Amino acid sequence: MSIQDMTSDLPVPRKDRKIAARIWSEAYAAIEFKIGLAVFSALVLAAIFYPMFSGIDPTKMAISSKLLPPLFMGEGWSWARPLGTDQLGRDMLSRSLVGLRYSLLIGISTTILMVAVGAMVGLFSGYFGGKVDTILMRLTDAQLAIPMIILAITILGVSRPTIPAIILVLGLSGWPIYARVMRSSVMSVRKKEFVRGAMVLGATDWRIMFTLILPLVLPPIAFVAVLDIARMMIFESVLGFLGLGVQPPTPTFGNIIADGRKYLLNAWWIATMPGVFLVLTLTSINLMGSSLERARNSIYGGA
Amino acid sequence: MFIARFLARRLLQGALIVFLVSAVIFTLLRVVPGDPVRLMAGGMAPEALIEQIAEEMGLRDPIYQQFGRYVWGIVQGDLGQSFVRPASGAAVGGASFDDNTRSERAEVWDLIAQTAPMTVQLALLSMLFALIIAVPIGVWGGLRPGRFPDKLALYLSSIFVSLPNFWLGIVLALLLSVKLKLLPAIGYGGFAYTILPAIVLAIEIAPFIIRTLTVSVAGVMRENFIDIAAVRGLTRNQIIFRHALRNSSVPLLNLLGVQFSMLLGGVLVIEFIFDYPGLGLLTINAVMQRDFPLIQGIAIVTAAAFVLINIVVDLCATAIDPRLEY
Repeated sequence: MSIQDMTSDLPVPRKDRKIAARIWSEAYAAIEFKIGLAVFSALVLAAIFYPMFSGIDPTKMAISSKLLPPLFMGEGWSWARPLGTDQLGRDMLSRSLVGLRYSLLIGISTTILMVAVGAMVGLFSGYFGGKVDTILMRLTDAQLAIPMIILAITILGVSRPTIPAIILVLGLSGWPIYARVMRSSVMSVRKKEFVRGAMVLGATDWRIMFTLILPLVLPPIAFVAVLDIARMMIFESVLGFLGLGVQPPTPTFGNIIADGRKYLLNAWWIATMPGVFLVLTLTSINLMGSSLERARNSIYGGA
Repeated sequence: MFIARFLARRLLQGALIVFLVSAVIFTLLRVVPGDPVRLMAGGMAPEALIEQIAEEMGLRDPIYQQFGRYVWGIVQGDLGQSFVRPASGAAVGGASFDDNTRSERAEVWDLIAQTAPMTVQLALLSMLFALIIAVPIGVWGGLRPGRFPDKLALYLSSIFVSLPNFWLGIVLALLLSVKLKLLPAIGYGGFAYTILPAIVLAIEIAPFIIRTLTVSVAGVMRENFIDIAAVRGLTRNQIIFRHALRNSSVPLLNLLGVQFSMLLGGVLVIEFIFDYPGLGLLTINAVMQRDFPLIQGIAIVTAAAFVLINIVVDLCATAIDPRLEY
């Protein structure tokens, strides 16, 4: 064990490569990361291009072709409707893929917001310490104790759930964990020689925080946030299922499945098929996320 | 003496947190649009009557006055009365505006006390199922890091964590209840009705247990005392059960404390799908009906439960591993 290892839990990155690149290449070496990436890319491409090129409007109703089953499943299936149709004759495949767009949009923006807020709180808390730290950390504790799901459905239940409102509510629910992790990383980096050197040279706090500390501690945290994209996508679909997500006629996984539940006994595919898409997307994101997390842990040593 | 000081400090901090939570929820409920009186009195009620009811109930006073009254009530053990639920039990919101005198409304505390045991039953059973699923996978994975069992743990937990609870609930209800007729699914009519919701909740919790166990067992197995235990003549099973599992139980306990709110979210949705009459279903109905006192009461009770569970978790952790200090 070298002296460096004993004095810190955050190794200074090797000069030739950025820390982010190292985590990425280590994760990329794992087979499950490649599987996840391939499945995820395929789904994203389908979500972008299929509704556009198939020319099928996901909200277009056609009562004459309602409740058609998916391929090879019972009477009346057709190649034109690979996943069948719902009770109003709308195409399930294009509805699912448009739902995937909203799911990804909300999942990704929510996670970015969450990491940004958490990182800022943690950065200030860890860098300044003292009173700032105490106040911010008590705030974080209180936030952790608030049953966020109750808060989220309360706010969205009484006000009209628009996309920005959903992103805001979900994003403000998950930041405390990032604040804690960020704070402890900042505190350990803050004691390093190069930070003290910068202080002696008269660099402003602002400059030290944003040009020296942040680029060093943010990437490992941001990579693990990939897992939270999946978590937030589930959260979004739960809200949609409860009728508190993006409102119909816009199709989302949540509201399609909630609709399909009523037809479960005579048309099982309405509730189950969109879920298959959601599960595939989430599994691919989670595979990538856990590979990144493992790569980070193996680089930093320990969990 | 140490225990008493610890408890006093943590309970005091906990009380502060619960107070903050209630203040936040209380303020939010009154700031966001959506007039509960309109819902109580029904869409056809005249504007003047709505104002009159709101005035009588003190809903037009400044928020700090309302909050003061509310906190004073809580200190006396009174969480208030539901806006919409009559004491008889049936929940009817906003049908007519001339019945439901205030005295007949259900006490929030009673509503919570009636439903909480059902939720506790569900939570405990699902915890048991989750442990049955996760412990073998997690421990096996932790014993062989980087090998097949470890990969299996990774794949299985990635899949489990990707199954949205409401979708899984619908699929399992369709398969096990409708097609195979193995388990009852909807409503509650005996213990059997808890099993299916508990399985769904267990699958939601399991991946977190698997991951924590894999990491911590792998960590413990690298320690010197494991090698020494082998030298001392302990069999592999003894090593795994006495050392590895015992040491991994502390992170597992902490997980329970941290993931409490996730568990709560799961309970909420699962009770809603299976129409299971617990605290979660009560919460969703309270939100849909803008039943402010009930929402507040539930938020306070769950925040208090969060605080207490975390205190118990820390106490248990010190009992298991005396090196820990809090």
